[in-house]
Amino acid sequence: MTEYKLFEGCTIGNRIPFIEAASRKVFEKVGIETSQAPFTCCPDPTGMKSFDNNSWLAIGARNLCLAEAEGKDILSLCNGCANTLRGVQHQLKHDSLKKQKINEQLAKIGKEFKGTINVKHFVDELKDNLDKVRGAITKPLSGLKVAVHPGCHYMRPAEWMEADDPMRPENLKKIVAESGATVVDYEEMVLCCGSAVTNAYEEHGLANFKIKMDSIKNSGADVICVNCPACFQQFDTRQRDLGKKYETDYDIPVLYLTELLSLAMGVSPDEIGLKFHRTRMKSQLEKLGL
Amino acid sequence: MITDFEFRKQIMDFHVGSDLIKYCYQCSRCADNCPVTKVTTDFYGTTGYNPRGNILQALLGYKDMIFSADDLVIWGCTVCDTCDEVCPQNIELTEIFTLLKNMSIEQGRGPEFIYSQAKAIFENAKAIPSQPAIERRREQLGLPAVAAPDVNELQTLLKNIGADKKLK
Repeated sequence: MTEYKLFEGCTIGNRIPFIEAASRKVFEKVGIETSQAPFTCCPDPTGMKSFDNNSWLAIGARNLCLAEAEGKDILSLCNGCANTLRGVQHQLKHDSLKKQKINEQLAKIGKEFKGTINVKHFVDELKDNLDKVRGAITKPLSGLKVAVHPGCHYMRPAEWMEADDPMRPENLKKIVAESGATVVDYEEMVLCCGSAVTNAYEEHGLANFKIKMDSIKNSGADVICVNCPACFQQFDTRQRDLGKKYETDYDIPVLYLTELLSLAMGVSPDEIGLKFHRTRMKSQLEKLGL
Repeated sequence: MITDFEFRKQIMDFHVGSDLIKYCYQCSRCADNCPVTKVTTDFYGTTGYNPRGNILQALLGYKDMIFSADDLVIWGCTVCDTCDEVCPQNIELTEIFTLLKNMSIEQGRGPEFIYSQAKAIFENAKAIPSQPAIERRREQLGLPAVAAPDVNELQTLLKNIGADKKLK
């Protein structure tokens, strides 16, 4: 199997590394090989891109150059990083003038963007290895009801993410179903978690988040499963703020896809640092006998 | 309302994969599906965040309406890309809103977190810099240290582009 350059991203690498630990466990069990590279910030498709699109292109292209130098594809653990790196590649491949301008800047630091590698989201890699995922499940999560949240940038814009149906995504559901858990449908599955707007306008962000959480609560889900660190943080850290503001008890724990799979593959909660979550999932773990 | 022809030309000339903005017929599917419009707008759509309105005003060159009003007009966008998918004319709305946000930054406006993130990236080459407590946690979890990025090279790149002058 080919070896990927792992792009863990700033949030997972430098704030919530327990997600990287769970992801590496799952990759090991499934047989996905990765190695490190000195990548900078991707940079953020909601932050840095809004600040200056040219800087976003240049920094993103420089990261792609690092992987190109080794001739290896990038595997991203994060929706935002996958969106940026694929988006930069898309813009530069479809606009020769833009590519020329960015390459003039890159030449000054001794680099050149060629566009020779591919950027893959880890959900797509797991989906392509669904048989191996199935084969690695040793402790099926029977009885656990899971509401999935694929997030926005995993599949939108479909034009350059080319991952899943942009408004009716299925991949995350399919992978979660392999764990033996039950996927519960809820109306607002494709609604944005509102991470970006919450940073700028907390009031509006929480109003949007309430719609999302009410829908999840109504579905009767035990846990929320996500594949993006920004969404993870929105669910894990802002649920309490939301509960306080609207005087409602939400308290639904959130699991990264690779954390959920780790548990189903027999990895103990301590090994992957589940205790570092803000939302507590003691009762759910007891239900699973873990 | 005054048409700013220079601004209008910038909008008309702007394209990422297409120049389809010219074909907007104001059907309002973007606003109907926008999560931020839903939580900020009254029944008549006269207040709050309105992607359809932004496209219309950009097309007409009404720069003042976009930039002199509340920052929410531009920065309410949460970059969920839903409008891009529901648009029957395949207009890349989010890319146009990115251009408007970039223009807003050039005027020294925009939310604080955008500036703080850009500054963190300029200074550390990471949006979230490495911290000793997290480094220890990585070790406890059996993870290798994050490969250190080349901050100097990134700063050279950003200085040559002139992005450092936009920082606050």
